[in-house]
Formats: sequence, structure tokens, C-alpha cells
Amino acid sequence: MSRRKSADILWRIFRFVILFGLSFVILYPLIYMISCTFRERSDMNDPTVMWIPRNYTLSVLRETIQAMDLWNTLRTTALLNLGCACFQVISCAVTGYGFARFSFHGKKLLFGIVILMILVPTQVISLPLFFRFRFFGIKGLFTVNLIDNMLTMYLPAMTANGIRSGLMILIFRQFFRGLPKELEDAAYIDGCGPLMTFLRVMIPNAMASFLTVFLFSVVWYWNDYYVSTMFFQNTRTVATMLYNLDSELKLRLFGDATIQISPREQIVWKQAGCLVSIAPLLVMYIFLQKYFTEGIERSGIVG
Amino acid sequence: MNEKNKQRIRLSYSRRKELYGYGFIGLWLVGTIVFFLIPLGRSLWYSFNKVIIQPGGLAMKWQGLQNYSDALFKDPEFTRDLRDMLIETAWKTPLILIFSLFIAVLLNDKFHGRTLARAIFFLPVIIATGPVFGIISGDLQTSGNSEASQFSTMFSTDLVGELMQFLGIYGISEEMTAYISAVADNVFSIVWSSGIPILLFLAALQNIPLAAKEAAMIEGASGWDFFWKITLPYVSPFVLANLIFTVIDSFTSPTNTAMRRILTLQSRDVNYGLASAMAWIYFGVVLAALGIVVFAVKRIIFYEND
Repeated sequence: MSRRKSADILWRIFRFVILFGLSFVILYPLIYMISCTFRERSDMNDPTVMWIPRNYTLSVLRETIQAMDLWNTLRTTALLNLGCACFQVISCAVTGYGFARFSFHGKKLLFGIVILMILVPTQVISLPLFFRFRFFGIKGLFTVNLIDNMLTMYLPAMTANGIRSGLMILIFRQFFRGLPKELEDAAYIDGCGPLMTFLRVMIPNAMASFLTVFLFSVVWYWNDYYVSTMFFQNTRTVATMLYNLDSELKLRLFGDATIQISPREQIVWKQAGCLVSIAPLLVMYIFLQKYFTEGIERSGIVG
Repeated sequence: MNEKNKQRIRLSYSRRKELYGYGFIGLWLVGTIVFFLIPLGRSLWYSFNKVIIQPGGLAMKWQGLQNYSDALFKDPEFTRDLRDMLIETAWKTPLILIFSLFIAVLLNDKFHGRTLARAIFFLPVIIATGPVFGIISGDLQTSGNSEASQFSTMFSTDLVGELMQFLGIYGISEEMTAYISAVADNVFSIVWSSGIPILLFLAALQNIPLAAKEAAMIEGASGWDFFWKITLPYVSPFVLANLIFTVIDSFTSPTNTAMRRILTLQSRDVNYGLASAMAWIYFGVVLAALGIVVFAVKRIIFYEND
């Protein structure tokens, strides 16, 4: 018995060391970000400063916010994000339900397209998509230029073709397939049509997985810079701003695009930029953590 | 969806359900034709043509397989990038899977601070898909300032040095330090790409029926036996899901070199035909890799219901 006990204690120590060490690997960049944000840039050249700044300052943070035009950028990003995430969750849920509970001709083929959506890298279709939005409309009748218009993000999201939509359709399909059929049968007998059944019976049951998918959708749209740089030139999201932080900094802060700042000193602004761009996500994560980590078990991605 | 009610045609129940099915997926179908299938076909078409930009649209000049042979034989970087990426995915994917299964087993235990530990390990899920991760890992060259990114890379490799110093084992022997640093540099990228795999494995672990656990306990199985004879078979279906996820994730990540090459071709050199051809070669490679992986793994999976 005592051998078992000592093995148990050993296991605990082992587990603690492993988890602690790896948590360090994950948290290190975040701690570094915070540490850099609140130090003066001259501290970067001071070899004794590693974690704890010698000179505290808020000016780096202020300058970064100014260079990224943070409040406007945040508003644009939030508008895009929340809008797209809402549209996407709804459209993917409807589509997923269609695939889960109805049988129709060509279902296998159509579902194959959903799988194809997961597999094809966005980069393959991004160029034709660009021209689609550049000359949007029906040939010969009318065309409009949708580049720099938020519709370039909204329209695909509305029709379940946004960022990682294939994956979301798959998640919803698996989830709805896991719900008992009796639920719907009861609703049918009570005189609900399929649409009413979906709205009144299935959606309330799926609330938790709706939230999980919604959160992931927000995260993926927030982090996207590939699609946004493709379709937006003057509409700036947090991700594209961060991507161009270097030149923005020089332009807005020093009014000179050719100014030379030591790359080591630039790190402070970069890290500050990172910090402000993930701060909203982090706050969301802290409050809704359990929906990220537990929701997915119920959301049906399993099995 | 409603027109059949108006027309008052009696349809059989199954026929009606079929129509409702089309109704539910109709919106997606329209969207997918407009925003996915047609662009997909177009990009295939571009890849066989020389694409010339004109005011008001694009003009094509048929070239046959010229773009493909240019991509494969003339471009000095593309094949090398492709090979590097394949090699990297090949050795990293198994490591990610083993690592995330291991962590999932640890996080499935009951202990104090488990919620905190889980929260930390899933943190990469919200960060690792964005440009922030590019800066953290020093992968992203922002606006061509390569010196700056060198510095941020330096800080990510030195991470282990930090940890070793922290634990007081830094500099015991030169070789050991170098070796641990090399391993750890990869630990960084592995840990950071394991968020969703850990999540999936954890879900799988929680699906192991209680009866199996009890039976193993009564039979006196050790933790070791339990892992190999109970945990692993039950988790095996998720290995496939995770494998596919990890492979796709690494192939579609915009930070990988082959992808970046295609992007510069599009935006800087404006050579759309060649860029499309490369994208299609790339996609073909991805599909082939996935096919091999799925084929290999499918045989060793245990399905409870079969």
C-alpha cells in the first residue's frame, strides 16, 4: 500500500513540474508583452532589465494606441466581428440542421462540398474572390465595387461561407445528429412544421453549442488578417493594423517614414501592439473560459 | 418552401421532408456556388492561362501546363519551400498528437488548480491563429524589417535559457544547454499548436464509460495498463480527427513559407496564373498527404460500436 502511495506522490510532483514548466512556455510571451509595454524604450538596451522595467512609463502604450488609431480600429473590428459571427452561427446552424435531419437527393455530394470547404486553403480561391467583389453583380446588368465594403465579409458569413464555415457546419451537423429524434417527432405530432420545430425545439436545446461556435467564430474573425488585407484597403481591423504597425508607427508618431529606430527599441511598441490587440480577446476568454473549454464537449465536435 | 402550400398539391411525407431539406441548405448552396465553387473553378482556369490585367477585368491567354512546369522546374524557391513544409509537418504532427494526448491525460486528473491549468493550456486557441502569434514566434516579417524580427526570434529561442536559469540548471554543461535549447525551441511551437487537439482529446477522455474504468479497477490494473488498454483504444477515433485537424491547420496557416511565396506572387509580382498554379499544386500535395495519413490511421482505430 505504501508503495502505491509513494508512487502517487511521485506522480503528483511529476505532474506539477510538467504543467508548471509548460504553463511558463505559454505565459512567457504574455508576461513579456506586459513587461515591455510599461517600460521605457531605453530599457531595451539595458542588459540588466529582463522582466522588471527600470523606468515605468505609460507613454509607449499611449503611442501605440495612437499609432494604431485604436478606438476607431476597435470599433470597425467589433462591428465586423460580431456581425459576421452572428450571421455565421445562424447560417451554419441552419445548414448543419438541414444536413443532419433531412434526406434529399444529392446529399452525399453536397456534403462532400462541405468537406471540400474545410480542405481548400483560402489562398486558393482568394484571387477570384477578390475579382468577384471588385466587379460584383450580374454581368451586363450592373456591377458594383465592393472592395473596402464590409459586405465582402458579411455576405459570405450570411450564406455560411465565411472563415472556417465548413468546420462550423460540420460541428452543427454532428451536434444535431446527436439530439434524440423523439424531440422532433413530438413537435411534429403537436403540429409544428420543420421550420417551427427548428426554431422552437432545436435551437433552445442547442444554446450552449451556439455560444461555443459563436465564440470561436469571433476569435477567428478577430485574428484573421489574410482575408481582411485582401478585401480592405482603407478599412482597418486590429489584425491588419498590427501587421502594419512598423510603418504606421514611423508615419504617425514621427511623421517620417524613413526614420531609423533601433530594432531592439522597436520591440516595446510591437509588444504593446500585441497586448492591445489581444486584450479584448483575453478579457472575453477570462469571463467565458468555461464555454471555450467545456462547451466543445457538448457542441458535438466529438464523435 | 411555401409555394407547395399555395399550390395545394398533396405531397408525400418523404417528398415534403426532402423539400424542407433543400430549404434548410438552400442559402448555403447559393452562397457556396457564388463564393466557393465558381471562384474555385476560376482559379483552376487561371492556372492554365497567362492572366493579363485590363481596365474592367482580366484577359486570359491559354498556356496549357506552362504555369505548372514553371512552378515546379523554374521557380527556385517553390519546390524547396514545399519540401521543407512537408518535412516539418511530417515530424511535427505526431509530436503534437502525442504531446496533446499526454497533456489531456494530465488535465483530466483531479487536482487543485485544474481549472487554472486548463485555462492556460487552451490560451493558444485564441491567440495562435492571429498575427500576434507571428510576432511572438518571430515568424512574421512586418514590413520587411528583418532585423526587428530577428530580435523577436532571439527572444523566443532564449525562452528555455530563461527557464533553465529559473530552475537553476543553466550552464551545467555546454552541450546539454544547447541540446535542451534545440528541443525547447520546438516545444514552443508544439505547445502553441496543441490548443485544439488537447481540447478534443480531453473531450474524448471524458467520454470513456464509467463501467470500463470500474472494471479495470476491480481487475487491479495499474495506471500504466489503464492507459494502454482502456484510454488509448477509446481515444483512437479522435486521433484521426485530431490528425486531420493538425495537418490542415499547419498547411493552411498563412505563416508557412510556401503559402507566403504564393502571396508575394499575387500581390507583388502580379503573376496570377503562376500563383494559381502554385496554389493548386499546393492543394494537391495537401490532399495527397491527408489521403496517406487517413489511409494509414484508419486501420488502427477502434470503434466501440462496430
